[in-house]
Amino acid sequence: MVKSYIRRAYSSFTAHVFDIPPRLMAFLFLLVLLVIPVAGLNPYYLSVMIYANVLAIFAASWDLLVGRTGQISLGHALFFGIGGYSTALLFKFFGLPTWVTIPIALLIGSSVAVLIGFPCLRVKGPYLALVTMAFPIILHSIVKWTTLSHIFEGEYGIRRLPAFFASLPIRQQRIAEYYLTLILFFAAAVIIYKVANSKTGIVFVSILDDELASKACGINVTKYKLMSLIISGLFGTLAGCLQAHLLKVSNPSMFLLTWSFTPIIVTFLGGIGTIYGPLVGAYIYYILDKYFLAIQLPRLCKYFGVTLPGEFEYAKLLIFTLIVLVLVIKWPRGIARFTTDKLEDLEEARDLDERGPRIWKRYERKKK
Amino acid sequence: MIEEIIIYSTISGGVYALLALGFTLIYGVSGVVNLAHGSFYMLGAYMFYVLGPKVLELPPILAVILAVVFVGVVSSILYRLTIHPVLGDEVGVMVVTVCLALIFQQLMLLVFGPPNVPVAPLIEGSVPIWGVKVTYARILAFAISLVLFASLWIFISKSKIGKAMRAVSQDREVAMLMGINTEKLYMLAMATSSMLAAVAGIFISGSTSGVAGAWIWMYPLALSFSIVILGGLGSIKGSLIGGFIIGYAEQTVIIVAPEGGQIVSVVPFTVMVLVLLLRPKGLFGKRIEMED
Repeated sequence: MVKSYIRRAYSSFTAHVFDIPPRLMAFLFLLVLLVIPVAGLNPYYLSVMIYANVLAIFAASWDLLVGRTGQISLGHALFFGIGGYSTALLFKFFGLPTWVTIPIALLIGSSVAVLIGFPCLRVKGPYLALVTMAFPIILHSIVKWTTLSHIFEGEYGIRRLPAFFASLPIRQQRIAEYYLTLILFFAAAVIIYKVANSKTGIVFVSILDDELASKACGINVTKYKLMSLIISGLFGTLAGCLQAHLLKVSNPSMFLLTWSFTPIIVTFLGGIGTIYGPLVGAYIYYILDKYFLAIQLPRLCKYFGVTLPGEFEYAKLLIFTLIVLVLVIKWPRGIARFTTDKLEDLEEARDLDERGPRIWKRYERKKK
Repeated sequence: MIEEIIIYSTISGGVYALLALGFTLIYGVSGVVNLAHGSFYMLGAYMFYVLGPKVLELPPILAVILAVVFVGVVSSILYRLTIHPVLGDEVGVMVVTVCLALIFQQLMLLVFGPPNVPVAPLIEGSVPIWGVKVTYARILAFAISLVLFASLWIFISKSKIGKAMRAVSQDREVAMLMGINTEKLYMLAMATSSMLAAVAGIFISGSTSGVAGAWIWMYPLALSFSIVILGGLGSIKGSLIGGFIIGYAEQTVIIVAPEGGQIVSVVPFTVMVLVLLLRPKGLFGKRIEMED
């Protein structure tokens, strides 16, 4: 009785108060992000937001390739590391400024996408996933190799890269970096979203739905797969370049499996196949990781008089992975998609086909 | 040098084949790409350390058996709890198994700490073969993997459950119509595959490095998937031949070019990519089926 009243009240509330069109929501999201530095945020949180922007670009590029085109890649760290290392090597050997090295790095990244596209796109499904996983591991060993340490500087990586806006004082520099990454993040989001919803994007989804049928419709499947890989690789490389210049170092850890799995985790947090899901997911990831687990949880424990042991560092990733595991099993639609559905619809998704990509249905698992 | 290459490569090839067999088995039966395969390898080594001569001081044979059974039980429970709900969604399965692998890594770090733990070889001593000193532990590992490989092959091609596994891998729905309980079969395949990984973990870490750490799951995983892709996913013959190919390639690089030892992990992947350029489905790519 009470429950039904509450549900009715809730549904009328969500239907009439929160009936916000997605475009307005995106605008509000950007507006909030724009005023954050003005609100005088602690520099620590600001740097967390900067890395969240970079991760958002990276994860959105993964989502275009996997969530929209269905080419499962477990090795997106390849582009991340290629970006970091090519901008670092160009700086090291030619002393070029940052605004020259990053575009060249983007070119290199897309050529690498074409190169690995030839062996990779011939194989399908689990073969593709495992083959893509191999490339970053190969490059990780090569850049760590001591024989080549005069080029890649081994384990420590290429250090002392130029930072963005190095002439400004530290606080202004953080804010400038934040706006730079935010603008790039927004540009990348708009481009990827527009590509995903253009005619080309529809072809991508058709390849995901049924490759054979798309082939039968006269679509040059390989061309579109390669196109998706190139766009995805381009933005992955951009994220790598940004990360390298923000940390002022490119080291072999950029090729590690961790960087291949982070975009996957982020995308699943937000909702796969929606482009905007990973953007939100990256923020959720960093807020969970760097705010709740790193700051609020120890504070809470202190309040209750519990001191956290030194092993808590390990437990942090454990907690995080458990959250993701439960999310993937119990809530495969992701947080962002769930929220938009709640905001726009009453109880069930009313016009799933009309509102968004059809592939949402593909990731729906029926309850037993 | 030639003798060294032949002996060492044959031994590691046999053990790698065992490692890859588990990976290929679970894919062949249920279509799950189990990225937590390396974690069961690690779990086996750690359990052997706990039960074995250093801590609980059980007799080694009993410790091996208990550790392997423990891994089998854990893996089938985990399969039921985590992989089963997402079955059929390729990306979902991979994410879940990666999460499992990371959870195991962090659990091991929490329980045992970052330093490596010693994993004792089952027997000490060595014997010269063709003038090359080979430890008994390596010979034992090789012998056990061959025995296990052969018995599993016979099990799959002759027994009733093996026939059911082949039937499920060919056509799941028709197999269900014939009265095969596919859920039980998947759990059984998962338990078998992880037990093989655990055996490989105990014997490989015991006979080569002698230690187990929280990060040792990555290289076995990489090895097993490159072997399996080389041979063809789901093919038992393929994993045997792929294991030997990778074993030979790896040991040749280690022995011929010692300064290349750091990039030895590149070798399996390079071989794999080269093979895939020629044959996109691996050497013997198909699901587990008529291989007799």
